[in-house]
Amino acid sequence: MIAPDEFKSPLKPTWCPGCGNFNMAEALRRALSEIGWEKHEFAMVWGIGCHGNGADFYDVAGMHALHGRALPPATGLALTRPDLHVIVEMGDGDGYGIGLGHFVHSARRNPNITVIAHNNQIYGLTTGQASPTTDHLMRTVSTPDGVLEQPVNPIGLALAERATFVARGFSGDIEHLAGLFKQAFAHRGFALVDVFQPCVTWNKLNTSAWFRERVYKLEESDWETSNLDAALALSMTSFHELTCTPEQCRIPIGVFYQAADVPTYEDGLTATQTPGWKRAEGPRDVSAIVSALG
Amino acid sequence: MAPRTPYGNEVRIRIGGPAGFGIKAAGATLSRVFARAGYHTFDLTEYPSLIKGGHNTYHLRVSEDEIFSHVMPTDVLVALDAATIPLHIAELTEGGAIVFDPHDIEADAIDLGERAGEICLVPVPLTEIVREVGGVRIMRNVAALGAVLGHMQFPLDGLLESLRHQFARKDPQIAEQNIAAAKSGYEAASQVQCDFPFRLAPREGQPTRVLADGNTAFAIGALVAGIGLYAAYPMTPASSVLHFMAAHAEEQGVVVKHTEDEIAAINTCIGAAFGGTRAACCTSGGGFSLMVEAFGFAGVSESAIVVGLFTRPGPATGMPTWTEQSDVRFAIHAAQGEFLRVVLAPGDQAEAFEFAWRAFNLADQLQTPVIVLGDSYLSDNTQTLPGFDTAAVAVERGEIQLKGEVTGYARYRPAENGVSLRAVPGVRGAEQIVNSYEHDEHGFGSPGEDAETRVVQNAKRLSKMRLATTLVPSPREYGPREADVSFIFFGSTKMPVREAMKWLESDGVSANALQLTTVYPFPAQAVFEFMERGRRTILVEGNATGQLQGLIREYCLRETSHHINRFDGRPFSPELIYTTTHQILGNRPGVTLGGAVVSPKGAEA
Repeated sequence: MIAPDEFKSPLKPTWCPGCGNFNMAEALRRALSEIGWEKHEFAMVWGIGCHGNGADFYDVAGMHALHGRALPPATGLALTRPDLHVIVEMGDGDGYGIGLGHFVHSARRNPNITVIAHNNQIYGLTTGQASPTTDHLMRTVSTPDGVLEQPVNPIGLALAERATFVARGFSGDIEHLAGLFKQAFAHRGFALVDVFQPCVTWNKLNTSAWFRERVYKLEESDWETSNLDAALALSMTSFHELTCTPEQCRIPIGVFYQAADVPTYEDGLTATQTPGWKRAEGPRDVSAIVSALG
Repeated sequence: MAPRTPYGNEVRIRIGGPAGFGIKAAGATLSRVFARAGYHTFDLTEYPSLIKGGHNTYHLRVSEDEIFSHVMPTDVLVALDAATIPLHIAELTEGGAIVFDPHDIEADAIDLGERAGEICLVPVPLTEIVREVGGVRIMRNVAALGAVLGHMQFPLDGLLESLRHQFARKDPQIAEQNIAAAKSGYEAASQVQCDFPFRLAPREGQPTRVLADGNTAFAIGALVAGIGLYAAYPMTPASSVLHFMAAHAEEQGVVVKHTEDEIAAINTCIGAAFGGTRAACCTSGGGFSLMVEAFGFAGVSESAIVVGLFTRPGPATGMPTWTEQSDVRFAIHAAQGEFLRVVLAPGDQAEAFEFAWRAFNLADQLQTPVIVLGDSYLSDNTQTLPGFDTAAVAVERGEIQLKGEVTGYARYRPAENGVSLRAVPGVRGAEQIVNSYEHDEHGFGSPGEDAETRVVQNAKRLSKMRLATTLVPSPREYGPREADVSFIFFGSTKMPVREAMKWLESDGVSANALQLTTVYPFPAQAVFEFMERGRRTILVEGNATGQLQGLIREYCLRETSHHINRFDGRPFSPELIYTTTHQILGNRPGVTLGGAVVSPKGAEA
């Protein structure tokens, strides 16, 4: 087993002191260690944002992709490298804003990819603009009169497309979060772990303290993870009044929904069962295809 | 009237009618009949024209000699509706024929104008034939194919065989109906007594030929290169590559994905390339516009991907089904920042195959994105070929490690030729980051902002240019070393230019040509030397602003003496190049052909 710290790169994280990303990274390293994969058995893909800066802080094989575009390259890798586990890290602006289309399509596609969303409900790296998951009516530098749109409901969107593993975590509970990551890694198919990860610099509303007063664990409430309709209904907790009290808005964390034994996208094809590079070990014989053109 | 000369022994057939009449399918059947009978063929599909209701045509050229392109005249016009006749009557040759259905228009209602007496009317009761055989309306085109062969007195067997093959997997009754329709059409046309001067007979002892359009040729070239993933979003004229790849995906072990958009398509390719898989995506200008950011990502991350950019008239949605060569500059300059890309421009179907497999080698050897720049004229049109030169194919993967272990690995370690070892995930010790940010030699982004590191890495990537110039296909020259006129062109213009050169030669005008097979890195030396040698240099390109002309000015500080541009959506015809060249030589009075621009220097004798 590889110790969690062995997944650290020599570079020191540059996140703001107190940033939820520190705990997420710790939870991820623990989950990687406990799942027992060797370093050459998986690869990670990041989008652009504060979460993406994490690409520098892991000693893993990975790709720091474009803003909003972590899922497509991860899909290209997953479909051509059945021998690798693929993990995507993306942000809320990154994955639910500019990259929302890829997110929804990936959910319905069910490739064997774990998606970890760093959801701090704000644009951090570009200094505090409203993100797609910023609460309705919250004021930010780009919405001085408050956000006039309803927030994106990532859990609901994933469920609406019958994603096969949908969970939510909170960076304030490392142990719980590491457990969710491990379950997601073990799941065959598209696994989403949307993580509330407070931004200490730009989001003065959805703070760690705010979350601590509101989160509860699904597994401690006899939640049935196989009920899609109930999970969809529960996902509507994404919408709430800006000034809701802890009693008024309860935030569930844990596994909303998991469907076992659903075929992955890769299962539908035989071409995906062989590493793609093996197709180019020499020229293909195309003589039958050419003679059919006669 | 279109001139009979300078064509050889050949027949040109046009099938026209509204969309949905199975015109392209009928034409493809006919080209196969002649190809199997030992002829060279070249077809041109045009759809839709500017007529309300849509007007589709399929033009087939059948020749005893090797041919390079389509031509303008028609010897047999198959009018599947009355509107087709006035649209194409001017292109009919003397002694030509119109096959029509009296159900659409009566013979005496056809106004031949000045052409009366020169053109043979061949009434064939297509609608009635279809009714008699119990078939559906679309079968009229099969009866019409029978009529074409009947009028030409060309044996019907080939068509019947082709129909049996085509309908082999369907209800046997449908095959029988089609065969009966073809026979009836043949008989009806045989009864018309006209002196049709263009007779062809099946040719014995000819080598086997295959029929391929540019997209099919490209796809086969990608397959032979060992493509492992093809991702695309449908866009004319590139879509048929997706269809071909999808049809052969499982049998050939290619992951084929129709993605949610072009952004996903190219990024999916980059992900596959990260894993060591050869990957490609094809599109047209609009789709490539969406791909541009990721194209730069491939550049900075040194990802080996192939992009097929098959252009049509722009900007924006433009003219989807027509052709243009106006994205050369776009291909060369796409994406912010400075990085090496290679732009190859195949000129015909054989080169679409060749440059497809070469593109994968170049992408791997240079670890950078490679564009194969085509256009609708190349993508869509089918010609006979002796097959593809698979013997020349080699898979060159460059500096890559796909398995085992690597020690002291640095993905972006500076190297003399700019190319570093690429060890893919799965190789032990290869745990590094492939980055869209500027990065250090290990792929880390934050140290990439260091001024010195930035210069080292940027210079490393750009230094691959030297290696690129030694690896890319050199310009190809046609014709004698010294000539009266010297053409310069890139891409599909090769086809009509070579055809026109043949005709000029037969008029005693010596012509040579330089084809830029690689548009970038720009082959400045070769172009410069060719221009220095040329007496009259004529640049032929399918855009309004002279994009290749601008590149020649930029890289060679030279100007061609003449240029011919076309930007009306239509491909260059050999007639346009031929007549304009004669005009440049002062041999003929000026001709007006759509879109042709002859520079003021054209007045020179």
